[in-house]
Amino acid sequence: MDSQHPVWLTCDEGLERSRLTVFFRLLLALPHIVWFAFWTLAVLFVLIFNWFATLFTAKPPPFAHRFLTAYARYSTHLAAYVSLTGDKFPDFVGRPGSYAIDLHLPEEPQVQNRWKTGFRAILALPAWMLDAAFVGGSRSGYSNSGGVLWTNAFLAWFACLATGRMPEGLRDLNLYALRYSGQTHAYTLLITDRYPDADPFVAPVPEQAPHHPVRLPTGEDDLSRSRLTVFFRILLVIPHLVWLTLWGIAAFFVVLVGWFITLFTAQLPEGFHNFLTRYVRYGTHVGAYLLVAGGPFPGFAGAPGSYPIDVDVDPRARQNRWKTGFRLVLAVPAAAVSGAVGTAAFLAAIFSWWVALITGRMPRNLRQSILFSLRYSAQLNSYALLLTDRYPFASPAPPAASAAPPAVSPAVPVAE
Amino acid sequence: MTLRGRQLAQLAGFALLAAAWVYAITRLLHTTVPSNLHLPDLKAEDYFTPRQLERARDFERFVRIDYVLSQVALLAALVGYALRGERLTRESAAGRVGTGLLLGMLGLGVVWFAQLPFGVANLWWERRHNISHQGYVSYVIDSFFGLGGTFLSVCLVIAIVMGFAGLLRNKWWIPGVPAIVGVGVLVAFITPFLIPSLHRLHDPQLRADARQLQRAEGLPKIPVEVQDVHEFTTAPNAESVGVGPTRRVILWDTLIRRNRFTRDQIRVVLAHEFGHQKHQHIWKGLAWTAVFLLPIAFLVALATRGRGGLYDPRAVPLALLVFVVLQLATSPLQNSVSSRMESEADWTALNATRDPVAAMRLFQRLSTTSLTDPDPPGWWQALVGTHPSIMDRIEMAKGWPGR
Repeated sequence: MDSQHPVWLTCDEGLERSRLTVFFRLLLALPHIVWFAFWTLAVLFVLIFNWFATLFTAKPPPFAHRFLTAYARYSTHLAAYVSLTGDKFPDFVGRPGSYAIDLHLPEEPQVQNRWKTGFRAILALPAWMLDAAFVGGSRSGYSNSGGVLWTNAFLAWFACLATGRMPEGLRDLNLYALRYSGQTHAYTLLITDRYPDADPFVAPVPEQAPHHPVRLPTGEDDLSRSRLTVFFRILLVIPHLVWLTLWGIAAFFVVLVGWFITLFTAQLPEGFHNFLTRYVRYGTHVGAYLLVAGGPFPGFAGAPGSYPIDVDVDPRARQNRWKTGFRLVLAVPAAAVSGAVGTAAFLAAIFSWWVALITGRMPRNLRQSILFSLRYSAQLNSYALLLTDRYPFASPAPPAASAAPPAVSPAVPVAE
Repeated sequence: MTLRGRQLAQLAGFALLAAAWVYAITRLLHTTVPSNLHLPDLKAEDYFTPRQLERARDFERFVRIDYVLSQVALLAALVGYALRGERLTRESAAGRVGTGLLLGMLGLGVVWFAQLPFGVANLWWERRHNISHQGYVSYVIDSFFGLGGTFLSVCLVIAIVMGFAGLLRNKWWIPGVPAIVGVGVLVAFITPFLIPSLHRLHDPQLRADARQLQRAEGLPKIPVEVQDVHEFTTAPNAESVGVGPTRRVILWDTLIRRNRFTRDQIRVVLAHEFGHQKHQHIWKGLAWTAVFLLPIAFLVALATRGRGGLYDPRAVPLALLVFVVLQLATSPLQNSVSSRMESEADWTALNATRDPVAAMRLFQRLSTTSLTDPDPPGWWQALVGTHPSIMDRIEMAKGWPGR
């Protein structure tokens, strides 16, 4: 992408949540949901009219543009409220600036490419599928998990009730999902002909997250891909999958013994830590190659620095015994988030595969989306395999390498 | 040891290996088919109608052209890959052996691309003659994912070869060939578990026949199973698979469905497959693999020396080309070995069933249902004939009473 997307999201909401409104959130949203259903019906008719008008005049009529932008904005406000990303009860008309989590759309109708308008329903298919993985809730989509947004909302509901705060990582991830969904709405409703941007490292997601012991430093990638290796990617990765499975069996026994040792000594033995670190790193290399985020064929040893998409794991440290004892149970919510994020990454990989096969290049924003998923998965695996007792951090923002305070969230979107 | 002494030791070792190789061939060539057997010289026209012969020959004409073109495309693709394939090393971050695996797999991928149109053309021809029922998309998808297993096998072989090349450089072939044959034994052992759509033979009469034939051939109980293939093909077939405790006989359901073949004819098929088991043909086949692989591997090592030998992954594309060329060049020899074992199985079946008429009828029926030319040209038989020609088999059945 070479310029700022015309549709962007801002967030002026803190993390504090009212337990009372969180507890009744779904019920409180009922009037909105009914109103939204009626509005959606009206939108269907306006959209058909708008499509013909834009096809002939290359520009949506002003009244249709206003109606549809308000609808897109309102749907974002509502999704933010229901998913606990926002705390305040939204208004019913989708006024700009009326909600702390706001979708910014072009104020005036924009000139649009007629070809893109004519084939919008076909062109939008990949974006809809990815959107379904982010905020979809239907079983008709690829995922049955309810999408990233609703998986997070389910988990956040318990967290908010318990602590009165929205977990920061989940909030950031929801902002990413809401931004992508808002851009998909805008593209579908002919508000803009700019394709949705799947890059997760864009505002309102912060530029940097707090330090985490497991990070995903990425080397140089000119994004060019060999069409031959892309075509055969799923088969080329088979030897790696066999090796990963065998290594996984060994890792299972190492973790089993390591769990007892860590429970008594509060620390994983050095040899175990190194072995499992390599396993997590190797799994990430293989995942990156399979999902086309990585270009070259990875090695079989999980050696540090051997692959452009690498995993840095801090040296072993003392771990909380309670967290060690209940590690598997504690990992379940993160596994749910990882599953939802992984579904989106899988779809991104399928689209990337096609693009790379045709153009010989990996789309940058889809690669970033996959990298985020790989990082979260590596953090989850490290947590489950006792490499760290730090919980996986769901924010798409890359974690700081050192424990210095993270940068403040930018208020304006960052151009790619 | 002095230079001359070392050369002498190497020469002695080489001579010993060559002597063992020759001895193995003489042992493996042994067959129970009488050498003094006088077989009649029969004419295909006496056993097949002119229409049957014309149909089979018309069918095979296209198959032959398609095969020859596919081999030309295969060689062209491999020559291109040998010349330019080493550039793909930049696609790897996997070190020496890992890069070799990648280049090996990509080489097979290139071959798949080159042969796909000919495979599709062959399928079109078989569908036209009602031999295959498989759809084109299904064929392409199946063959693509079938490559996965091939990729794994080639990875195993390249890992062995390059592993030994790391230790012994250009002498990798000495321990490499036994190791690869060892992998072959393992594959032969697990093959029965990899064949899809298998179930028990339900027909009580055929099961009784199988038991009786096993006793007649002095075999222990060997399971007989049926593979469902009728969705893809109408061609009948059977095979003997597995070694030791996993050995079994597999009949395609196209052989036993809808009474296409009589019970006597199926008995001949069963006896033939038990014949393979009786004479340990799978073990012999593995031994023959070693016999052929030894000089081929030596020549591959020799040919790739200019590129640093198989220690260097950049030599893998050239090694693939040399290997395939040598395989093609030795295919007449390999096919004659295979035909010899098939003849022995036929002979054993005749002795066990004592029913040469059923055998002749079976071979006739096999020809008409698979549209196989009963008397193909010699060059074709040498190139692809893993079994004796149908007329050769009929001649053996005809000559059996006068054994």
